[in-house]
Amino acid sequence: METRSQRIFLKPVIASILVVSSVFSHLSQAQDRPLIEPDVEPVVIKEALIDSENFEIGGFFGTINIEDFESSLLYGVRLAYHLSEDVFFEANYGFADAGETSAEQLGQVQILTNDARDYTFYNVNVAYNILPGQAYFARRYAFNTNFYLILGLGATEFADDNRLTINYGAGYQVLLNDVFAWHLSARQHMYKIDLLGEEKNAINTELSTGISIFF
Amino acid sequence: MTGLPLKEILSSLSLMVRILVLTACCIANSYAEEVEAKDSSWWSFFDAQEPQVLVLKVAEPFVNLRSGPASAYPVFHVSERGEKLTILSRKTDWIKVKDSSDIIAWVSVSDVQKMHNLSDSKVILDEPKFDDYTTHPWEAGLLAGNFDKSAVNSAYVGYWMTENLSLEFWASQVLGEASESKLLSINLVHQVFPTWRFSPFFTLGAGKIFIKPKVTLSNESSRNEDTLNVGVGLRYYLSNRYFLRFEVKDYKIFTNRETNEEASEWKLGLSVFF
Repeated sequence: METRSQRIFLKPVIASILVVSSVFSHLSQAQDRPLIEPDVEPVVIKEALIDSENFEIGGFFGTINIEDFESSLLYGVRLAYHLSEDVFFEANYGFADAGETSAEQLGQVQILTNDARDYTFYNVNVAYNILPGQAYFARRYAFNTNFYLILGLGATEFADDNRLTINYGAGYQVLLNDVFAWHLSARQHMYKIDLLGEEKNAINTELSTGISIFF
Repeated sequence: MTGLPLKEILSSLSLMVRILVLTACCIANSYAEEVEAKDSSWWSFFDAQEPQVLVLKVAEPFVNLRSGPASAYPVFHVSERGEKLTILSRKTDWIKVKDSSDIIAWVSVSDVQKMHNLSDSKVILDEPKFDDYTTHPWEAGLLAGNFDKSAVNSAYVGYWMTENLSLEFWASQVLGEASESKLLSINLVHQVFPTWRFSPFFTLGAGKIFIKPKVTLSNESSRNEDTLNVGVGLRYYLSNRYFLRFEVKDYKIFTNRETNEEASEWKLGLSVFF
């Protein structure tokens, strides 16, 4: 008897709770929804549909002074990948032919064989476009430019030795159009060498210029 | 004497070839799945006779048109709501557009995201997301550090097979005092929490080391050995496109000598998705 009366009493209570809660949940859902629902899904544009030109490939030449071994002609290839408008990665691979030390020029001694005079290096740098700007030429032409700083690591193979090399320097890039760019660059290559007795830091200065293509 | 190392080299080579074939199969397989799943494959990209021209409509009151692909370049023109812009190409987060009067300029990707297509639907530019490997299955990076007390420079390419597992191909150069070594290895990487911005990972790999002693130490000859490595590391996603990577690896180098060699390595570098 008791359970029956409980059931009779509880039924409307449970029913009313259910009704109230469903009304409330409807209300809260209505509040979450925007007033006008967009009935179209946004159209996704695939990345591959837009031609992206974040890579840059090119060549350079210039001079490098190889410590104790005169200055030499330098040439190489360069690949860059632009991460953002400010930062890019840059990889260089270059060659030079070292000259003679003053001791070799004065006397009969030969410190290095001809093969060991081959100077090859690679480096990978992080670069920062610190001063982007515009340059004007002959009144009619305006070019976008970038002055950038670089810092990186690599290796230098010289005198039958291969040494870790730290690079730092700066470059000036003139974008001739959206595809071609002209670079001027000055950088230091620093490595340790023990060829002439005690181990010391060799600091070689590179001055180079080159053309690159964005793709 | 000479027969034995040759045999070993051949056997290790055949092992590496087998690993490579397996890997290629894995990659080809996942590509096939992708093509089936998405229905629009890269075949259709090549089949298309005429290049697709993408024209979008300005939906905001106006957009700034800049002379170059950076926020530092000056705004020299604006396009008003309703104007049509043809999308030409992209450089980092900037898109080159041409308006109806043939003005060519650069618009930021975030501005293009607010444009509509010609049937007035919103558009979304498909951008990579660091926590969704399907938007960027490939990654590559450059790292430098220390290998057994010598400087090491490394480069790698990785391919994500699942959200947790990737396969990496490594090439390293160790510039030691007494020798110069080159390392090639294949690594399996397990990223435990792929959605975390600071993301730890474990790695296991096998490869070869080519050791060339310096000329001054002529009593040693060049040799190459098999290696195994295990490692742990941490990735920090600086953006959706690139991240910092730090890792520590322990190498076991199997030699013909009485004892095998061990080397530990740490490296730090920057990687990008593509």
